[in-house]
Amino acid sequence: MNLWRGIKGSIQPFGITFRNIFRKPSTIQYPEQKRTPAPRFRARIILTRDPDGGERCVACYLCSAACPVDCISMQSAERPDGRRYATWFRINFSRCIFCGMCAEACPTLAIQMTPDYEFSKREPLTLVYEKEDLLVDHGGKDNEYNYYRHAGIGVVNPRGGNPDEAPPVDIRTNLP
Amino acid sequence: MIDLLTVVIILVKLILILGVILTLAAYLVFAERRILGRMQLRLGPNRVGPFGLLQPLADVIKLLTKEDFLPSQADKWLFLLAPGMASITAILAFAVVPFSPPLHLFGREIPMVVCDLNVGVLYFLALSSLAVYGVALGGWASNSKYSLLGGIRGLAQLISYELSMGLSLVPVVLMARSFSLTDIVLAQSPLPFAILNPVAFLIFMISIAAESKRIPFDIPEAENELVAGYHTEYSGMRFGLFFVGEYINVIILSSMTTVFFLGGWSGPLLPPLIWFFLKMLAVSFFFIWMRGTLPRLRYDQLMHFGWKFLIPLSLLNVIATGAVLLAIR
Amino acid sequence: MPTLTIDNKTVTVPEGANVLEAAKRLDIVIPHFCYHEALGSVGACRLCAMKFLEGPAKGIQMACMVEAKDGMVVSTQDEGAVDLRKHVIEWLMMNHPHDCPVCDEGGECQLQDMTVAGGHGIRRYGGLKRTYNNQFLGPFVYHEMNRCIQCYRCVRTYQDYCGGTDFGVLGCNQRIYFGRFRDGPLESVFSGNIVDACPTGVFTDKTFRFHSRYWDLEEASSVCPHCSLGCATIPGARYRELQRVRGGVNKETNGFFICDRGRFGYGYANHPDRPRIPRIGDREVSWDDSLEEARGRLADIAHRHGPAAIALLGSPRASLEANYRLLTLAHHLETDRIAFEAHPERDRTARVVAALSDKNSRSLEEIRNSDFLLLVGADPLNEAPMMALAVRQAVRRGAGAALIDPRPVGLPFHAVHLPLAAGRLSEFLQAVCAGTFENFSRQERTILEGIAERLRRAQRPILIGGGDLLGAAGVRDLLRTSEKLSKEDRPCGAALILGGPNSYGAALLSGETSDFNGILDGISEGRIRALVCLESDPFTDHPDLSRSRSALAKLDLLIALDCVPTTTAEKANIFLPVKAPAESAGVYVNNEGRMLAFASVFDPGTPIRVTGGGDHPPRVFEPGTPRNPPMSAWSVLGALQNRRESLNSLRREMEGEHARLAGLASLDPETDGRRVLPGGGRFEIPEIPAIPTEEKAFDLISIQSLFGSETLSAFSPVLDPVRPVPRFLMHSADAAEIGLAAGETLRVTTDRGGFELPVALSEVMARGCLFIAHLKGSPVDLPFPGVRFAARVDRRKES
Ligand code: SF4
Ligand code: SF4
Ligand code: SF4
Ligand code: SF4
Ligand code: FES
Repeated sequence: MNLWRGIKGSIQPFGITFRNIFRKPSTIQYPEQKRTPAPRFRARIILTRDPDGGERCVACYLCSAACPVDCISMQSAERPDGRRYATWFRINFSRCIFCGMCAEACPTLAIQMTPDYEFSKREPLTLVYEKEDLLVDHGGKDNEYNYYRHAGIGVVNPRGGNPDEAPPVDIRTNLP
Repeated sequence: MIDLLTVVIILVKLILILGVILTLAAYLVFAERRILGRMQLRLGPNRVGPFGLLQPLADVIKLLTKEDFLPSQADKWLFLLAPGMASITAILAFAVVPFSPPLHLFGREIPMVVCDLNVGVLYFLALSSLAVYGVALGGWASNSKYSLLGGIRGLAQLISYELSMGLSLVPVVLMARSFSLTDIVLAQSPLPFAILNPVAFLIFMISIAAESKRIPFDIPEAENELVAGYHTEYSGMRFGLFFVGEYINVIILSSMTTVFFLGGWSGPLLPPLIWFFLKMLAVSFFFIWMRGTLPRLRYDQLMHFGWKFLIPLSLLNVIATGAVLLAIR
Repeated sequence: MPTLTIDNKTVTVPEGANVLEAAKRLDIVIPHFCYHEALGSVGACRLCAMKFLEGPAKGIQMACMVEAKDGMVVSTQDEGAVDLRKHVIEWLMMNHPHDCPVCDEGGECQLQDMTVAGGHGIRRYGGLKRTYNNQFLGPFVYHEMNRCIQCYRCVRTYQDYCGGTDFGVLGCNQRIYFGRFRDGPLESVFSGNIVDACPTGVFTDKTFRFHSRYWDLEEASSVCPHCSLGCATIPGARYRELQRVRGGVNKETNGFFICDRGRFGYGYANHPDRPRIPRIGDREVSWDDSLEEARGRLADIAHRHGPAAIALLGSPRASLEANYRLLTLAHHLETDRIAFEAHPERDRTARVVAALSDKNSRSLEEIRNSDFLLLVGADPLNEAPMMALAVRQAVRRGAGAALIDPRPVGLPFHAVHLPLAAGRLSEFLQAVCAGTFENFSRQERTILEGIAERLRRAQRPILIGGGDLLGAAGVRDLLRTSEKLSKEDRPCGAALILGGPNSYGAALLSGETSDFNGILDGISEGRIRALVCLESDPFTDHPDLSRSRSALAKLDLLIALDCVPTTTAEKANIFLPVKAPAESAGVYVNNEGRMLAFASVFDPGTPIRVTGGGDHPPRVFEPGTPRNPPMSAWSVLGALQNRRESLNSLRREMEGEHARLAGLASLDPETDGRRVLPGGGRFEIPEIPAIPTEEKAFDLISIQSLFGSETLSAFSPVLDPVRPVPRFLMHSADAAEIGLAAGETLRVTTDRGGFELPVALSEVMARGCLFIAHLKGSPVDLPFPGVRFAARVDRRKES
């Protein structure tokens, strides 16, 4: 029985592969024919801005920590108004595997993936994108979110002035 | 004796055969990629030249211009020699292949074979044994674990299947009563040996599939276990030699199948040379088809099958054929 | 020794341990915030809940508040306990801001860990979050009060452990606030510890603000190079820059905390002028060229003037390995002119300590457990801050403390203070030995007899001495006194404050060699032509600057190895840059004689912040660090002797050469270190010329200041805002006699030049003394601490 199954199993596939030769290939001829990538397609990375036009990235290093190939590096610093920002921010796209972990990790929605996958270059160094190359002037997939309206550190609004915060307590009062 | 014309004719034959075989090998690669593509509902290479026909040329240019890489601590000379061993032994086997009955030109009879040895079968077997060296030395000299494992696997596989291949040819020789390939072709009229002795044909086909180290018997280079097996460390044209050696091997093995079992050049209507090529190409197509169809065997399955099934079967076949031949006489 | 069962595992713990500690011994980790090994438990966070099944306590309890008792059966995984912990975390998170991304604690935050461990994910509470206003707390600590979870660790650290008084807990119920009464710099010199202690991001290191994430830092166990105590530290570096230092754990020395000099004095490694490339004259050259040149010129001098024309100067700031290689370099060059300290008096003091303090030498841990401490000529807050904290812990446990010192010493604990003139400290020690105080005034005698009585009664008394004020003779007297006071069953210990992190080690290597003054004489007389300075700066660290400078100017060849831009480094004919302490591995021998190994934290090289000018780092990629980065001092000195070796083989060689260094090769930076073996036993102090006393002359003493005197921290820009202003310190009665008011400028002349500084007055200091708080690199050339000389008050200058 087994032998018969073995023989049949070895011969039958020949028929299937032979039949396939005459079917229509499903190849898409890339440069001439293009597909519209899905909105969540993961390709070239951008740094977005919040609805008020400020840089969203707070240089928290979470994306660089999440990146499995270590291709994000940055240096954080403080602006006079208390905003934390990246003095420099670099993504080495010749190393990036477009896994999307960085965008997943980003707490401020700053780093986002776009469907622009056609940006291969001949020189590896031209694939090292600096902050200027990454920064765009829109909010990407979410134009509403502003991290500082939710973080309780008083940058956009005064301390205690965000919607979910009570005004600062008076520590000198004895009233209950 | 040897006059100028003989020399010229031999030279022309050599050059023709070499040219035809190398071109054929290159286009076999191309054909394989296209056919495999279609079997997998893809197109295959179609960009270089019309229908991608210049792809082999592009590949050759690419291979020639790539860096030739020598791993540190590799055994330099063996490393450089091994690819040559692989392809040259394959090419040499063509010396004994009769493509068609002798031609009559310039008032003399020109045999359509470079050298009609009277021990052609043995010559073929000897050369295919030598081919083992290319694999073994390449694997050994690379100083890489993957290569070494691939080399060892190749060695074991080739030696094992050599046996059954040789044994499956014994009935052929018995039936043709000659070791000369031309005689074997002539002995196959009216019926080719594939029909007269299908068991030997089957064993031979399986054995040469194993000899060619192609799917389903590509265990020495199993990509997902050994990267690329014995030629892991090879790059550029040296890899190209291994690669092209494999396809020349396919061609020679197809030719041998044609000669031994499919009646060689004989056939109705069309000229003998065309018949020969058609048969050879059909066998080659079968190789490609098999690659598109069957999965790779496991190493132990391969060994079991070779030693415990194929060799006993071929021994039995030899005895049976001998007995039948005795009985007929 | 109660034995109890936790999660079906049995453990025996010492009497008095709590159940949380018992669980820790079993490697069962229960979320907790307020418990800290050094601070104890207060049961404030309510997170360490466990279910007590059998034994004296029953039900769900806070494990940190329950003392382990025999027969207890405890479950940590009990459903009720787990559920309670989960709720507590959720409550703690109710008011917590949504700001982890901009919080420097992120990544090393216990609250983050505990929240994840407790299983709290989505906020359910719909109400408003409580907020606070922050305070300005000075240049070191950043305050972000919204993140507080009321564990009280900061207060317990700042007030209880460190004795600070200007910071505490304010407010009531929902308004508990941890801060100062008003904005202003934290006054304690241990303020940085609240950064380590706070489990959340309320207090973060301001000097490290927004620099890096914890996970990006290169960290390793290290030893603080800023004083002789050798506290354990964990420096963190990134992008070839030393970015912060946090306290390490060494139960024998610092325990868990460190002082602000150790924490914030790290800037020397990134100093903008730090020389990082070998130099011949003013020309930057490669390592090979510079070493070749150094070897060649040394050989040339030896050839022309004989090997004795070469002298070498080691340093208490350099590792034991480097100093040892300097010693073998002397052997290699066949010269015996080597000293290990540019300051001869400190040199002698250290040698006395290394030779005489054997069994009676005490670690900080033993000080913490002592029951009476007598400080003689020691100002621990300025000279060895963690020593002050160790004494404070002893005092908190009921020990008594007394201080005999001419200075107006501030201490973070209560102590009897008798301001005795510097010249009388030895006299006092001898009197303690003899048990009679006849030479002292009646008033003094009452105090001193009381002290002597306490000393006699105490079970674990320790004498603490400051090397600078006592001098070699005083230190010898102190050690003798402690021996004299020891009985078989009641040893009396001693702890001395020395000049540098490796003073003891350098002294071990010195043996009987002459001091640096001998070398200076040789140079002045032209017998010595070349000097090799290892991480030392004789141009500024000698007590008599005019003497050293005029002599050093006569040198034919000055080779300097250092990691900071000292005067010597600037003037050197050949300069060889070496790794800073945090960059190299090595061993220091601290004041107790404890060998402390430190590991290399990062590889030196120009920081990316510098190469990129603060902006994007250059877009060039190359393997390794750019140009010729500094090498370890020991390997540079080895190269001068044509040696190529590993640190390990060097340590094995040292072990073989010096019997007292047994165990050096197997020293692990992760451990508490090990004491050098006793030995030496004898050291003859050369006669020191007495200070000429003049009528109407003041005893001028230069003293250390915490943020001013020590070399490495002097090159730390971070400390600039807290540097002391150089000034005189004078008894108000003395000032009144010459009609001087506080703040006015006083001009004195001495045989080492004149000084003109403003004056500060104090009541609690010895009469007839004039102190200068030393500031390294100040525009006025101040005499180096550890020196006393006579000063004539010239005139009072109208301001
Ligand atoms: S997509 Fe993946 S690989 Fe690319 S930067 Fe983000 S985390 Fe790194
Ligand atoms: S995770 Fe987002 S906010 Fe954080 S550094 Fe990356 S891009 Fe900036
Ligand atoms: S400030 Fe930090 S250490 Fe102090 S109570 Fe709050 S969380 Fe605890
Ligand atoms: S007490 Fe001394 S060794 Fe300890 S941290 Fe402070 S300066 Fe460093
Ligand atoms: S650790 Fe026990 S209540 Fe905080």
